[in-house]
This record gives sequence, structure tokens and C-alpha cells, in this order.
Amino acid sequence: MTIKGTSLLLLPVCLLAIAPAGLPPYAMTLLTEALILGLFAMSLDLMVGYTRLLSFGHAAAYGLGAYAVGNLLLHTAIPLVFAIPLAALFSGIVAIGVAWVCTLASGVSFSMLTLAFAQLLYAVAFKWIAVTGASDGLAGIPRSPGPFGITFFQSRSGFYYLVLACLLAAFLFCRSLVQSPFGAVLRGIRENEAKTLSLGYNTRRYKIAVVAISFTLGGLAGALYAPFAGFTNTELLFWLFSGQVLIMVIVGGAGTLIGPIIGAAFFMLVSNLLSSWTDSWALFFGAIFILFVLFAPQGIWGLATRWRSLSSTG
Amino acid sequence: MALLELDGLTRRFGGIVAVDGVTMRVATGEVRAVIGPNGAGKSTLFNLITGVIKPTTGTVRFADEVLTGLSAYSVCQRGISRTFQITALFPQMTARENVRLSAQARHARRWQPWGGDAVFAGAEARADVALERLGLIHVAQRPAGLLSHGDQRLLEVAMALAQQPRLLLLDEPTQGLSVEETEQAVETLSALLADGSMTVLLVEHDMEVVFRLAHGITVLHRGAVIADGTPEEVRANEGVQRAYLGGLA
Amino acid sequence: MDFLGFLVTQCLNALSQAALLFFLGVGLTLIFGIMRIVNFAHGAFFMLGAYVGYSAVYVTGSFWAALIAAPLLVGAFGAIFELGILRSLYKRDHSAFLMVTFGLTLIMGEAIRLLWGVAALDVPTPKSLSGIVFILDEPFPIYRLFLIGAGIVVAIAIWQFLERTRLGLLIRATSQNAEMVHALGTDVRLVRSAVFGIGCGLAGIGGVFAAPLVTASLGMAPNAVIDTFVIVIIGGMGSFAGSLIGALLVAFVQVFGTYYFPDLALALMYLLMLTVLVIRPGGLLGKEA
Repeated sequence: MTIKGTSLLLLPVCLLAIAPAGLPPYAMTLLTEALILGLFAMSLDLMVGYTRLLSFGHAAAYGLGAYAVGNLLLHTAIPLVFAIPLAALFSGIVAIGVAWVCTLASGVSFSMLTLAFAQLLYAVAFKWIAVTGASDGLAGIPRSPGPFGITFFQSRSGFYYLVLACLLAAFLFCRSLVQSPFGAVLRGIRENEAKTLSLGYNTRRYKIAVVAISFTLGGLAGALYAPFAGFTNTELLFWLFSGQVLIMVIVGGAGTLIGPIIGAAFFMLVSNLLSSWTDSWALFFGAIFILFVLFAPQGIWGLATRWRSLSSTG
Repeated sequence: MALLELDGLTRRFGGIVAVDGVTMRVATGEVRAVIGPNGAGKSTLFNLITGVIKPTTGTVRFADEVLTGLSAYSVCQRGISRTFQITALFPQMTARENVRLSAQARHARRWQPWGGDAVFAGAEARADVALERLGLIHVAQRPAGLLSHGDQRLLEVAMALAQQPRLLLLDEPTQGLSVEETEQAVETLSALLADGSMTVLLVEHDMEVVFRLAHGITVLHRGAVIADGTPEEVRANEGVQRAYLGGLA
Repeated sequence: MDFLGFLVTQCLNALSQAALLFFLGVGLTLIFGIMRIVNFAHGAFFMLGAYVGYSAVYVTGSFWAALIAAPLLVGAFGAIFELGILRSLYKRDHSAFLMVTFGLTLIMGEAIRLLWGVAALDVPTPKSLSGIVFILDEPFPIYRLFLIGAGIVVAIAIWQFLERTRLGLLIRATSQNAEMVHALGTDVRLVRSAVFGIGCGLAGIGGVFAAPLVTASLGMAPNAVIDTFVIVIIGGMGSFAGSLIGALLVAFVQVFGTYYFPDLALALMYLLMLTVLVIRPGGLLGKEA
């Protein structure tokens, strides 16, 4: 990334860093949730935007992370800062199996399999009281202190900084990934998988890997959400949630990492504004989604960068 | 020992025999053309060799190693690179990026998920060499989808070349090219193959191209080999003449 | 309860289930045969059919009127959507289509919730079809027998439609060679709109038939589309006979599976989908191969 590009990011990051000093608690809560969703959306972008693996079941990653961390925090004394990455790892490991199955197919079949898997997980979570609390979910998830008695992350702003740090770390990781040789192969798969295969790449392995990474980061988002909200429930595995995050990616701008984060913020902003009138977000966002797919497939960020490059040459 | 040995290679699709007991030997350094009327099974033959489809019976041996049953990417890793009848590229990547990705496939660390400067530098160097040899270096920065048809066909060849294959399979490289483009392509390919270090299997419809480039010709008709020899021998062969004249159905 | 009686009852159950699934599957397979795309919103059209059917019964007092009105309305809506929006997507890749029909599913689900509320539907079985009959000493609902009959009738009707009517011929021709049909003077776009409408209408009529049996919910749409997808994969995308076979197979697995493993209905569907995809690894065979 260019010097200019990196410095462009510095400003929003600084703003985000000082946010707790200036924003009221209600806004901080919204912001924290927006960052968590941003992480979630960015994780899906690796699949959808960079490899053209369309998933209708990414809520599975979120839910796996959330329930895993919920169980860890409720039933063990593992500190928050360890439980979260462990839960994310759990999600990633499960994903390897899921991906192995889903990549047996490609195209539409792949997408339907991701949906089916998420639905399966939802159905299991609905029934498995011992682990998931069934339809009631898990409540009272603590932000366990430690290690060494650290309680910083238990506070509102402390937790916010944890989320921000995770998002930044994940972003840097993803950026490095997509610019690496591995990322170049993903791009080949996105543009012409058959050709990539014929060049000697075992494309299935790369697809499984990117799904696992995507699930790990999505699981990280879920694992951040559970202690943030204090609870998890089956809504986090519901297909509507998978739809929401897909909308965030496309409307924000697929294949850019930043776009989906913007998409998440946009989504949160609009649904908050909308909720004072109506709770029919699905209607509104379904329509926006269709409009973007039809007329602005590069998303908000794609439009913004194009406008920027046009106006700089003009 | 020939570099490529096909023995009784057969492929059936339901009731249709696309490739019928093909037995062939291609020596190292040879440029062998595979010709035949439409539907003779030439592209299927390529797909069988490269592992895109599995044969019903028969074997493919490459450098004394059995290739039959391997997947397409494994076959490629063994040193066989190919181009396609219908141009297959990465249209939004630049020509250089296309060839770089192809060269990258030969690098030990092609899968590396971080950094990659060394991998990219090496791949790009090989890419530029291939682009030069195919006369494409002047369009290296252009998106592949925006190249002329002729340049796109050559770009595919460059991609295959950048892998430094032991066996190069060219599937109708001049298809869809204008007369000038064909001439240019043949010049380029001729220069490429002049030093005799490349082993090539070439499917072609344009007989002029065949006679200018090929050391040997194998003629397929309805999936079976009906003639096999030097260009002069094949030209004189009666069965071939009948196939081409009578088989134009 | 003796085993033969049980077996026969469950088989009849499965057949009635197969009839419902067939309505869904044949619609999706027709759409795929012509347009080479999977209509993600197919489950939503099924749902819409159930709700429109409910209203039709409410307004007219007649289940039979609903059987006619609902598919017409649902099909018309589908055709209009195709005309207005889907048409511009043919030149783009398949993921665009999937995403737009997914957006449509969201919109339809929400619209249904707004128009009809979240309470479960209560569509009473029509009086002439309610009640039970005894088969081998086991009680069996007459309505389900009616479903089996309806399924057979519709299957024959569609078969004859495809074989003998002009539109049916056009549909079969277009699914094999759209360019040729276009060259011969037919506006292929109209054929596509018609097929999309017919496919959605079939899903809609499935919804009406299903309404007295199931309670609708927001989860209906994705589960229905998964079921339908499995059916058409088994039978081969674009194959009418295939959707029949697929519907039968899925129905039997569901009915007997839920009997023996009651909590695992969804898992069974997933397993079935996996098995089919492993045996036919391309996934979309039939017309696609």
C-alpha cells in the first residue's frame, strides 16, 4: 500500500482511538458494535470479495465464536483476553471441516451448502440446551478478568479498545494476506478458477484455507460480541443475520477490506435511524441490496475511490 | 524412451467414442502436430493428457511416469503446460500479472500468505522473459481483457512458457486470428521453437502453420489415429486425403 | 399398530409430501432449464402462495378459488419481477442473480410479515376434504390423499403442457438452444418471463396446498429453498422427470427419517445434499453437464 494510502487510514484510526474521550456512553456502545460488525463483514470479504465464494451462511462463524466464548467465560476462569482468541480458533477449526465439505461443490451449490450448514447449526443450537441454552441462549456472560488481575477490559472503554485493537490487527493481517502470493492465487480463483487450476494450483486447498481464515475472523467478531452484549442466542445463527453481513459487504464494497467496514457502519447507522419509524429493516435493506447489485456493484467504497481518482485527474 | 507415451488411450461419452485407442510417442525436442477434421477428438485428447478428464481405458506416461488418473493441477506440476482452444485468461489483471501468476505456480513458496517480495520478484522476472519472447512486453501493463485477440492468444502461450514446461500443449493457437496476426504468431512461435529445446504438442487446423512448425504429424479421425509420420509422409497418405475430403460432414 | 399398516401410512405420507415438494421442485427446475440460474426466492414464493391462499379463502370462503387465484397472483408477481429487474442480470455472472433473488427473499419475507402479521396462518382444510379414512386399520387424513392426487394431476398437466402446447415446445426448445429459438423469430425474453412466472406460480400453488398443513414462519423460506435445491440436484437441473424423482426421494428420506430420528430433520437434508453432491460432484448436472 502506498504511503498516501496508509496515511489516509491514520486519521480515522486516530479519531477512533480518542473516541471514548468525546462520545457519550450510548454512542460508544453503538460504535463498539459497529466495529464488531465491521470485523465480521471484513472477514466475509475475504471469501466473497477476494475469492468469489458467495456464502449465505456466515452467521455460522459468528455464532460459533459467540457460543464458544460464552461457554468458556461462563464455565471456566479463563480470562477474557485468552477466551476470545480461543473461541475464534475454535470457529476456524470447525470451518476446515465445513469448508472441506462445501468445496466439494462450486458456484451455486457451494452457496447453498453454506446456507444449509448454517441452518443446521441453527437447528442444533435451538435444541442443545446444555451447550447453547436452546432458544433462551446464554446469558450473563462475564468479562472475566486477568491475567495478572488486569481488569482494564471489563470497563466500557477498555472493552472498546480491545475491539478496536482486534479490528486493526485483523485488518493488517488481511491486508498482508491479500497482497501476498496466497492472495494472488485467490485473485486468480476469483477471476478464472479453471485457469488457475490448469496452472498447477490445487485451488480447493486455497479455498478451504480462505474459508477457515474467514471463519476465524468471523468467529473473533462473534467472540467479541458475546461478552460485549453479555449474552448470545440463536438469532446470531439465523439466516437473516447471514444476509445482513452479506449486504454490508456488497453495499460497502466487496474486495476492498475497508468497504465492508464502511458497509457495517452504514448498516448500523441506517438501521438505527430506521428503527425510530419502523422495524422493517429487511424490506429497506433488501431493496438497497438489490439496487447496489444492479447499479453499483462496487459498493460505497468502490464509488468513493472511483470518484476520488476521477476528480484527482480532472 | 519418448517423453510422452500414449497407449490405447480411449474415452467414451455414453455411446460416443471421442478418443479411440490412441497410441502415440512424442520424443523430447519434437514438435508434433495433431490434426484432423472437426470432432476428431483433438481437444478431448488434450484434456485426457492434462488430466481434465479421465480416460475410459489406456494410459498416459510422461518421462516414464504414469500420468493417468492424476488431477489437472498435479499434471501441470509435473511439467506439462497448456493453452486452451477458447482463450482462458484473467481479464482484469494486467498481462504481466497474468504471466506472473503462472510463473508463481512453479515457485516453492507459491502459497505463502504473507510478504512475498522474493516470490513475486522471481515470478515477475520469468514473466518478463516470457513476455519478451512472445513480443508482448509493450502491452505488459494493459489489462488482459483489453488486448487484441491475437495478443491474447500469444499471452496464453506466454503464460504456459513462463512455467518452463517440459512439454507444451498448444490448442489451436492461431484460432480466430486474422491473416496478419496468424503470420505474426507463426513467426514468433517459429523463433521460439527454433533451438529445439521445447517439446510441443500442437493442435492446429491451419495446415500452413502445421507445415511450418511441425516435425511430425499425427492425424486423428473419429477419435482414432489414421496416420502418423513426417509432414511429407502424411501429405501423401491416401487415408488422410479421404478423411479430409470425405469427412467434412 | 401392525407394521404393514404403519408402512403403508408412512408411504402415503411420503407421497403427499412428495407432491408438495414436486410443486416446488418442478418450478425451480423449469426456471433453471431456461435461465441457468437458481431462484433463491423460490421458497419465498412458496410462502407467498400460502399467505395469498389464506387471504383468498378468507375473502371468498372457497379453498378452490384460492387454488386458482393464488398461483395466478404469485406467478404474475414473479413475471413482473423478472421483467423489471432480473432481465438486466443475464449478462452478468451467476452470483449477481443469487444475490438479487436473496434480496427479494428478504423483501418478500418482510412484506408478508407487514401485510399478514406474525401470527401463524390458520387455513382450514376444506370441508369436502377434511376428515380421515381408514387404510389397513390406520387413520389417514383425506386431505393428504387429495394432495397425492393433486400432485399426479399437476405432474401430468405439466408434462402434457411441455409436450403438446406451443409454449411448452418453445420452453423446451429455448432450454436447449436459446439462440436458435431467437433466430426463428420468437422473443426469447418473453419465454423467460413466462417461465419465471410459471415457476413462481407453481411454487405458489404448492404454498396453497401446504397452507392447511403447516404453520408458516420466517424460517420457511430458506428451508424450502434448501429442500428444493436438493430435489433439483438429485434429479438434475432442468429435468422435469428428475424433479419428480428428487421429490420422491427427499420426501421419503424426510418422512422416514423424522420418524426414526425426530430431531435430525434438517441434518438429514444436509446429509442428503452432501451425499448427492459427492456422488455427482459437479452438483449441477442434468442440463448443466
